[in-house]
Amino acid sequence: MSTARANRMTPYLFLAPAGIVLAVALFYPICYMIYASFLDWNPSQRIGEADFIGLRNYTKLFSDAAFRESMWVTIKFSMVVVTIEMILGVGLALLLDRNIRGMSVLRTLFILPMMIAPIVVGLMWRYMYHPTVGIFNRTLTDWGFDPIPWLADGDWAFASVVIADVWQWTPFIFILSLAALQSLPASAIEASKIDGATGWQQIIYIKLPLMLPVLIVTLLLRLIDSFKVLEVILVMTNGGPGLSTEILSLRINRTASEFRELGEAAAMSNLLLIVLLILTFTMFIYNKAQDARMARLRKVEEEV
Amino acid sequence: MKVTKTKVWSAAIAVSLTYTAAYADGHTADVYAPYEGTTLVVNFPAHPHYNAVLEVLPEFTEQTGIEVEVDQLQYLRMRERQTLELTKDEGDYDLIAYVVFSKADYVFADQLENLAKYFMNPRLADPNYDAADLIDGYVANIGVAGGEKGYLPGQTGSLFGIPFGAETSVLAYRKDIFEKHGIEVPTNYDQLLEVACQIPELEPGMGGMASRAASGHQASHAFLLHLAPLGGRVFDAEWNPIINSPEGVAAANALKTIVDCGPEGGTTFGPAEAAAAFQQGQAAMFMDSIAFAAGFEDPTRSTVVGNVGYAMHPEGVRRGSQTGGFGIGIPSNAQNKEAAFLLMQWLTSKEQDLAIAMAGGNPSRFSTYQNAALNEKYPYSATFGEALQYADPDWRPIIPTWGTINADIGTTMSQVLTEGLDPQEALDGVAERARAIMEEAGYYTWQ
Repeated sequence: MSTARANRMTPYLFLAPAGIVLAVALFYPICYMIYASFLDWNPSQRIGEADFIGLRNYTKLFSDAAFRESMWVTIKFSMVVVTIEMILGVGLALLLDRNIRGMSVLRTLFILPMMIAPIVVGLMWRYMYHPTVGIFNRTLTDWGFDPIPWLADGDWAFASVVIADVWQWTPFIFILSLAALQSLPASAIEASKIDGATGWQQIIYIKLPLMLPVLIVTLLLRLIDSFKVLEVILVMTNGGPGLSTEILSLRINRTASEFRELGEAAAMSNLLLIVLLILTFTMFIYNKAQDARMARLRKVEEEV
Repeated sequence: MKVTKTKVWSAAIAVSLTYTAAYADGHTADVYAPYEGTTLVVNFPAHPHYNAVLEVLPEFTEQTGIEVEVDQLQYLRMRERQTLELTKDEGDYDLIAYVVFSKADYVFADQLENLAKYFMNPRLADPNYDAADLIDGYVANIGVAGGEKGYLPGQTGSLFGIPFGAETSVLAYRKDIFEKHGIEVPTNYDQLLEVACQIPELEPGMGGMASRAASGHQASHAFLLHLAPLGGRVFDAEWNPIINSPEGVAAANALKTIVDCGPEGGTTFGPAEAAAAFQQGQAAMFMDSIAFAAGFEDPTRSTVVGNVGYAMHPEGVRRGSQTGGFGIGIPSNAQNKEAAFLLMQWLTSKEQDLAIAMAGGNPSRFSTYQNAALNEKYPYSATFGEALQYADPDWRPIIPTWGTINADIGTTMSQVLTEGLDPQEALDGVAERARAIMEEAGYYTWQ
């Protein structure tokens, strides 16, 4: 009897360390943040001294025009960068999916931007966008064009941070797409060749549909990441001019350190977390659906 | 018995020797003796003034036997670190330098020592300290709290810190350019704005005045710099926002004119970029903190060495140059408070204020600015001293809600500068939001 019970307990015993780590490293900070979002908490106070104010931080956020603006900027930024990066990344992968000499060197070169620390990327682009001594405006004036107010005008500043982000993160999509392309079944592509498909037809009817599961996951990963981008924009524009590039994570950072409203910052972080959770669940459900579909197809095949 | 006698004798000799050494040095060792061997941990910002302080600090250890360990951080990082440090039961810092707008937060949270008990202690307070010589605008702005409006001196106020590395605003201008075109140095705002827009026409490629303008704190700072001399305030005596008054609109328009006629890309400038533009000859004027003056005379960084003249911050309807920078105070959770006070008193004494100024720091005393040796080394010192008589301690409110309001002014002002938002409309919006913030913080409880 007791042996049977010990046997039943064994798996839980082995799971316990992981469970404890999860509780300490993940659930505790998240619960702490959720609790903090109900407090009027100033960094000069200890958490115990802060007043409990219920949902006031949340109601304040929804009536705060600056927060809504920053939410909108974040969504706009994510949509724009992810769309551009997907098109460029997949396009590059399709172009480079062939046996070229020195391919491995090229591949390493392509992913270099991803390896640079975000702060450095921000500084680098900030100097390149510099109104007078930056490379872009110097080149433009040398060629006889008017200089562009890269970071000095709201719309241009938004475009500038988009360009920097695209520069840094397109390689991520490129490298994953390339891996997906190279693992496609050669038989399907050969079959399409025999059937006389042109290059475009191969891409549209064979390669892209087969790559789709990988592409969807890549897209969601990038989307989640782009919602949290901070350092590059912090260094380049610090959210300006006006609020034109003030993405949510920057707003959270400012709320905590500059406005000294830890409760409000926690509430914002929770909202961001909810948005990201929705995205992650979408990814999870999509994967499940894909697996189920594959299983069904396989079953049908077996039955035939 | 004999042995004991010898011991007593040698002890007496040792004591008399120490005393002689100390007196020969001109200092009384017995003030510092109880603290000899103590190690003080101080938190300073990375700032030209504090770099100069580091040069004189070894002298303190030599004179007093008190060791000083310096933790130097970038000033925003410093504030974050202090916020954490000051909430602990036993802090690691014995003396901190704080940014002026931290005064409100720290004093309100009871995290800074009231200095009265140290100045009352005859064993600690130096009778020759001459507190009257400290620049009053700085003391009012950085040191005192609890009087008028809560953050200024007054009948109910008391001292929590001493200005150290404080600064005011002056107008720096290119003597050569002004001479070349026969331009008079502006003494009021009308002249200032006229000259600012005249320069780009006379000197193609050169902006009138380099100013901070980047979204957020920088744009707000630049706006407030003009608000005080033009007669405006952020709040009236009952905390009603009056930033959208005609004076406020005039200040916003002044800033817009300055930025529009300023060097290219000016709307993204922070203080460093604006100073760099002036240093590189891209602007004929620069009106900001006196802390930048030493950089303009540094031939390794500046192309305008010897061509920079200084004048007082021009007058609007009144004189009002800014006050800001740093002060030093003793945290309530410090472990060596008395020794920290001695260091604080030593650093801000007449002798050391001058020594630090000679090493490139910002004086906290009027007498230092009048010192002949200092004026010989830094010829602009006398102008700075004069400007300081008009330093306005109330050019921006130092209240806990200021961070949020300041950021809002800054982003809105940036929209005025870059998106063509109407100044009146912009400031009406700021006033409305400021009222809501103040309401929530309880400033209208008594109305």
